[in-house]
Amino acid sequence: MKIGSELDKDEKKLMRKLFWRSGPMYISVNPVLMGGSGFAYALMPFINKFYKNKEDRAAALERETQYFSTTIPFASFVMGIAASMEKENAQSPDFDVSSINAIKTGLMGPLAGIGDSLFWGVWRVVCAGIAITLAKQGSFLAPILFLVMFNAINYICRYYGGVLGYSLGSKYISRIYQNGLIEVLTKAASVLGLIMVGAMTVSMVLFKTKINLVMGGKEILDLQNVLDTIFKNLVPVLITLGCFKLLRGKKAGIITILFGIVVISILLSFLGWV
Amino acid sequence: MYDAIIVALCVFIGVAGHEMFGMAMLSRPIVVAPLAGLLLGDLQTGLQVGASLEAIFMGVVNVGVTPSAEPAIAAGLATVFTIQMDGKLGAIIPLVWPLAIIGLQIINMIFSFVCGPFASKFLNYAKNDDQKRFVHLHFGLWVLHYVLYALLPFFAVLLGSSVVKQAINAIPHVIMNGLTVAGNLMPAVGMAMLLQMLWRNDLAIWYFLGIVLMAYFKLPMIAIAVIGAIVAIAIAERDLQLKKVTNAGVAVATNQGEAGTSEDFEEEDFFK
Repeated sequence: MKIGSELDKDEKKLMRKLFWRSGPMYISVNPVLMGGSGFAYALMPFINKFYKNKEDRAAALERETQYFSTTIPFASFVMGIAASMEKENAQSPDFDVSSINAIKTGLMGPLAGIGDSLFWGVWRVVCAGIAITLAKQGSFLAPILFLVMFNAINYICRYYGGVLGYSLGSKYISRIYQNGLIEVLTKAASVLGLIMVGAMTVSMVLFKTKINLVMGGKEILDLQNVLDTIFKNLVPVLITLGCFKLLRGKKAGIITILFGIVVISILLSFLGWV
Repeated sequence: MYDAIIVALCVFIGVAGHEMFGMAMLSRPIVVAPLAGLLLGDLQTGLQVGASLEAIFMGVVNVGVTPSAEPAIAAGLATVFTIQMDGKLGAIIPLVWPLAIIGLQIINMIFSFVCGPFASKFLNYAKNDDQKRFVHLHFGLWVLHYVLYALLPFFAVLLGSSVVKQAINAIPHVIMNGLTVAGNLMPAVGMAMLLQMLWRNDLAIWYFLGIVLMAYFKLPMIAIAVIGAIVAIAIAERDLQLKKVTNAGVAVATNQGEAGTSEDFEEEDFFK
């Protein structure tokens, strides 16, 4: 294998750590960060190695604790790239840190799309198909073969994905930085990231109202229809932008917003509006 | 009691192991059912139940919040009821299925309302570089999440499935409905955090392109990603050309000495 041959001994050790730490990315999964806390957990060894003082480490840790979601075997690839960018940031004083999350956000959507269909849609079905036949014949090997087959590919992908991401990042990010092209990259990555966040806002944030005006047994106003005529997914988009305004203006913390969402939702449910 | 503990343990090993070992598929019926069968002393039944349920669940991909049934709970319960009642799986499935559907709802509730509020704790620990607490919380939530998860099959076996179904139906519908609505809205906070990172007033229009592509064109994520990449590359190429022109302008200016400074200055401003 050629991948990662240029890494030194220390970096190879970090790669093994990345492999072990990227596996449990989703163990603390929650709707706000998804695998974001796991992402930061996986990057901790890199952050501790690259940054010597506490403020820089805290800033890096906070940066990496953001919404992140993708298929696990491909997650390490993004982690590798993020790690290489943290390294560049530690070495270069005027590195634009917003490029890190821009690139993460740009990559997670497409990788999740490919990863979910390859691993859940194709490879799992192949492995399960073989295992089902074995289980029907009463062989205890069925579950074992299923796990070994599926995870061999799963783990190989996860290990080499991390190495590939890190070495690609190390090679190109510093070259891009030295050529003064990082702002071009950041802008392009932010555009891709914003498009993906727009698409995710529609697919992840769901809302439907049940407000219905009925007069004499005839429906005269179906609010959801009216809202859809104005703009589809209008309410989720407005709620997302509202949360964004609150967070950016530091008017409310995450806990307050989450609590508000729960209270308002139950209230709306009592009124029969949702 | 023993049966209940074993089934809860198998469901825990399945779902918690699946996450701990990086999407290891331990939560699939083909694994959970034979494991439960083995521990309950009837591996053959476990294998048969596992094969049948795996085939049933083949199409069900658990990505995000989907109104289907939960495979690990279904597999654990189907195995123990088939062994206990010495019955045919066909008769057991109608008994197990409603519980597996309720199971998925409960799991979404745990996901949203037990794990959700901890998101800000993670950020607080990160802000203070408190890595020890961060890691403890990361693994602590894992235990909490999946122990709660395993309680449903535990009580279902201990008390019988009909009792559990009644208990859950006793929760007022408005509350459950409200919580579901809230759970569906919560990802808005994650999206808002990403926007906080990426938002630039001059680039904000692209956010709405993503919205329109998904809401109206209903394109798959991957298609939107490719469109996004094309737009990003086109923008990067134009920026590179502009940069070249600006740099060339600066080079010419330095060659000419002081002469054209003010003009070039204007030009540079224009390209910014």
